[in-house]
Amino acid sequence: MPLTLLNSDKAIPEREKHTYIKAPSENILPLSNVQTTPGDFTERGCTYAGCMGVVCGPIKDVIHLVHGPIGCAYWTWGGGTRQNLSDNPSFHGKYCFSTDMQEDNIIFGGEDKLYKSILEAHEEFPEARGVFVHSTCAIGLIGDDLSGVCKRAEEETGIRVIPFNCEGFRGCSQSLGHHIANDTLFERVVGTKEPEELTDYDMNIIGDYNIQGDLWAIMPLFERMGIRILCTFTGNAAVDEIAQAHCAKLNLMHCQRSTPYICELMEEKYGIPVVKATLFGVEQTSKALRDVASFFGLEDKAEEIIKEEVAQIAPKIEEYRSKFEGKRVFIYQGAPRAWHWINMFHEFGVETIAAATTFGHEDDYAKICERVNDGALVIDNPNSLELEEILTDLKPDLFISGLKEKYLAYKLGVPFINGHAYEKGPYAVYSGFLNFARDVEKTLFAPVWGLIRRNEHA
Amino acid sequence: MRSVTINPAKICQPIGAMYALFGVHAAVPLVHGSQGCSAYPMRMFNRHFGEPVQVAVSSLGEDASVFGGKKNLVESIKNVIARRHPELIGVITTCLSETIGDDIDGIISEGNYEDSKVVPIHTPSYVGSHVTGYDNALKALVTNLSEESEPANAKLNILPGMVNPGDVMEIKQMLDSMNISYTILSDISETLNAPIILPKPPFPRGGSSVAEIEDCANARGVIALCEHAGGSAAVYLKGKYGMAADTICPIGVANTDRFLDAVCDMTGAEIPYSLEQGRGRLIDAMVDVHMKTCGKRAAIFADPDIALALAEFVTELGMEPVIVSSSTASRKFLQKAKSVTDGEILNGRDLYELQRAVKDNEVDILFGNTKCTPIAKDEDAAFVRCGFPVFDRVGYHRYGFMGYHGGVYLTDLITNAILEWGERG
Repeated sequence: MPLTLLNSDKAIPEREKHTYIKAPSENILPLSNVQTTPGDFTERGCTYAGCMGVVCGPIKDVIHLVHGPIGCAYWTWGGGTRQNLSDNPSFHGKYCFSTDMQEDNIIFGGEDKLYKSILEAHEEFPEARGVFVHSTCAIGLIGDDLSGVCKRAEEETGIRVIPFNCEGFRGCSQSLGHHIANDTLFERVVGTKEPEELTDYDMNIIGDYNIQGDLWAIMPLFERMGIRILCTFTGNAAVDEIAQAHCAKLNLMHCQRSTPYICELMEEKYGIPVVKATLFGVEQTSKALRDVASFFGLEDKAEEIIKEEVAQIAPKIEEYRSKFEGKRVFIYQGAPRAWHWINMFHEFGVETIAAATTFGHEDDYAKICERVNDGALVIDNPNSLELEEILTDLKPDLFISGLKEKYLAYKLGVPFINGHAYEKGPYAVYSGFLNFARDVEKTLFAPVWGLIRRNEHA
Repeated sequence: MRSVTINPAKICQPIGAMYALFGVHAAVPLVHGSQGCSAYPMRMFNRHFGEPVQVAVSSLGEDASVFGGKKNLVESIKNVIARRHPELIGVITTCLSETIGDDIDGIISEGNYEDSKVVPIHTPSYVGSHVTGYDNALKALVTNLSEESEPANAKLNILPGMVNPGDVMEIKQMLDSMNISYTILSDISETLNAPIILPKPPFPRGGSSVAEIEDCANARGVIALCEHAGGSAAVYLKGKYGMAADTICPIGVANTDRFLDAVCDMTGAEIPYSLEQGRGRLIDAMVDVHMKTCGKRAAIFADPDIALALAEFVTELGMEPVIVSSSTASRKFLQKAKSVTDGEILNGRDLYELQRAVKDNEVDILFGNTKCTPIAKDEDAAFVRCGFPVFDRVGYHRYGFMGYHGGVYLTDLITNAILEWGERG
């Protein structure tokens, strides 16, 4: 069966192009990265969310000043729901900065208020290494000269003051926000500082946001191999680390939807090659270690580490596999984790019966379609009515998604894991794989599911 | 005063309008704005209530921002009706659609929506706060929907404001015990505290129906529990239909007494012995702990009406409200705050300023939402979670502070917070 129209979509037939049931020997991908059907109950966010919320927010030592009315700043305060940890918690995530634009600012312009806000924020927190100014919808319309104000403020304060034109209405999803953040950070930050020393084993980890400490599980594996992590982009990142990222010998790219842009720019300008990696599950993590090792000529060390790590967790994974085998999962993630995790589940003998992304592009869907079995549903930018239909009709044993979908799953009696912020992570690499398995076991076998009753008169 | 806001005390208007619409049965909030304006508030509701919420958005993009959002809005309404058949769609504006200048009233009036009502709600994010948004939504609902019909009934309209499902339950139980018929607008007591029973209904059970909102016009009185979040609707109902109107936030003994007196005045009902017993139990709870509560210095941060009522209640507990801080700036709040505290009044100031005040005033106990948790930690104060959002602990939406019974719960929360604080190393 090719493209298909779900029952809940009868009134919006354009959704058919986004909804594919995989069939053998077909070369079809669902339509992606286009404007949402208005009023379809999309779960998507905005460009500001992609820029400030995802890519910039984790940078731990700058003031993130949101230029606009108050809401946008409030949502991303403390990383919002994203759980991207840093080792600077007495500043990073604790404070939220906004110009809180009022009606008269909208009418007469917000440049003065922005300028004063930058200076005051700097005065209150002089130790902050820069001010990132994130522009929101109304600002884009009234036409404040962000770069002019930021330039003046930079001269006055002597620290980096960088505007991000990430108004929510741009683009069709968070995705454009990632791109804007990548471009701006590349233009304004990368290459502005030289490291005190260089080694032949300097590597950046690009596109990991340290969700519940993922990076703190990932980095030691590479460090034990003899590699030095020059910069993490942007989990737990200091802005000066991003400034010296151009000196790395290799970029390891984890999130391949939010950061291919900066990897390409760095390859082009500084000749830094890229290794694409998936750091979830045993097989994919081991492959990533091997790929990096072969670039640096550290194969023996990598094999040693892999052997040791795998030996530690293999018996437990085997035990989990015996419990999970034959279960069916529906994975709905931002984009890459939808395909990262198909293979991870495969290691448990769990079949992905449906996969979806909020803002994936064609390359994401190509990977998903390559990895799922025939008959699996692959759907782009699913809205909440579609999600309810899929959960009700396909009855997966497990749904992996984000907070907005969590309580829908619960109300339908479907075991759930938060794949965006995790339940109790980290979930990356070998040790995280065990955390993940532990959480999957908890939800799959929680006694409470057996207590739910049906009452047709309800 | 600073230009920059550090750690905001308020959220923007649209989330308040959504809050109001979630208490209307089979209603769909339709945000006319960009997708972040629906996705982000949804998460806040999920975190506070532990409930799924459904919000539609017109997904304004670059084209709409240049040429206007009419096409998106018309298509959104059509799609929402075709797929959800709601009783009500509340079209909620944002800073984006208001700055574009879309004439949503005109656009909505051009359509034919069969069985669904479509109400325009103006909530530009650059004016007021979440509280203003709730107030504007409620006013839009009664203005657009209430309809006089003969004969007038003996009902009472209760406008609870941005309180918890548990608060609404407390109010309902008191009114039920007095045998009073009433309309709660809007009623989130079931919609945002829904059971798991399969099959899941298409819309959560409960909430005020559109018919009840229409019938609001025929009630004999209206009481807004939070003047800043529902007061405008009460003023409208009073002005348009001549019904009695009052605003009382029934937190604490005297405020609950006043609320019940007003209910009796408007309906001719009498206070049953069961409520007298409830009052007695609250007094009992307060007497039991007065040696622990008396003399404590309290800082209170909440939405304006809740902050004022809490200040009065902690005074009844023998505490001193040394800081009374409102999420939302308002002249009325400022005036009233002067009568409930001799201490510092923060009128819509941010939480960075609140922290400064807590430090300066040697506060023993802080009342506030989850965003205040770090202040309580840094300044070593006992902490009582209240308001919206609370998401660093579970269950706060289930229980109410209002009424005598809610007062017992709050008294215990306060005392236990003080005890835990005293046990800290």
